[in-house]
Amino acid sequence: MFKRRKTIPITEAELIRKAQEDHRHFGALYEKYFEQLYRFIFKRLGGDEEVSGDLVQQTFIKAMANLNKYEDRGLPFSAWLYRIAQNEVNMFFRAQKKHYFVEINDRQLTGLLHDLENDQSFSQADIEQLVTIINNLEETQLDLIELRFFQEMSFREIADIYDITEANAKMRLYRLLEKIKHQWKTTL
Amino acid sequence: MRKFKVNNDAQPKEPTKEQMVRYKDFATISHRYDRIAKRPKRPLYKDPKLFLLLLIIGIVMLLLFLEG
Repeated sequence: MFKRRKTIPITEAELIRKAQEDHRHFGALYEKYFEQLYRFIFKRLGGDEEVSGDLVQQTFIKAMANLNKYEDRGLPFSAWLYRIAQNEVNMFFRAQKKHYFVEINDRQLTGLLHDLENDQSFSQADIEQLVTIINNLEETQLDLIELRFFQEMSFREIADIYDITEANAKMRLYRLLEKIKHQWKTTL
Repeated sequence: MRKFKVNNDAQPKEPTKEQMVRYKDFATISHRYDRIAKRPKRPLYKDPKLFLLLLIIGIVMLLLFLEG
């Protein structure tokens, strides 16, 4: 008697267009990306649950406010959200009067150490020295190191966030690693 | 500014499902967005141009009434 209505899956592009027309439709995008953005911010803050909650809220509000400026240029929508989240976290760090310490362990540094000096063992003092060098990098350079080695993002994902090519992302990181390696060797 | 600190006892931080659920609330975000995006409407009498227009209409009506 009653025909079951067929549900037609809505594409992400359609969801974005709908949300651009009426912000209440943004809920579906929020549902889809909340967890990955929360995780991203949480890890960047070294596990501060409350501040992560605030910043993720702020990120989504900014995304909603600027959604009309969003243009689909073939990049994933998540990259655009990550860029906003990245800015929000950096603004938070800059607003801190004292240094905001993020704890990392040897395991997180393994990838970086491997890319700097393959097959070599290091003392704790060497690692401390490396962290000191990293801490003295510019904010953009520090972000790159963090995305690649601590957030374990692929070059494709990093390239999408910065709106650059994958080759460019690799080149930026390669140059940065060379710089770190040079500074580190002089101190070893 | 952010600084990294080595602590080998620290485990890489991952949020739990419970933590994420606690902060997942689209209604609050939508409400906050509404508050930011929608400016409160200005009452008519506080808009000087509209107030002047209403005054002129009033005077014209009064003059027409007095003429009659």
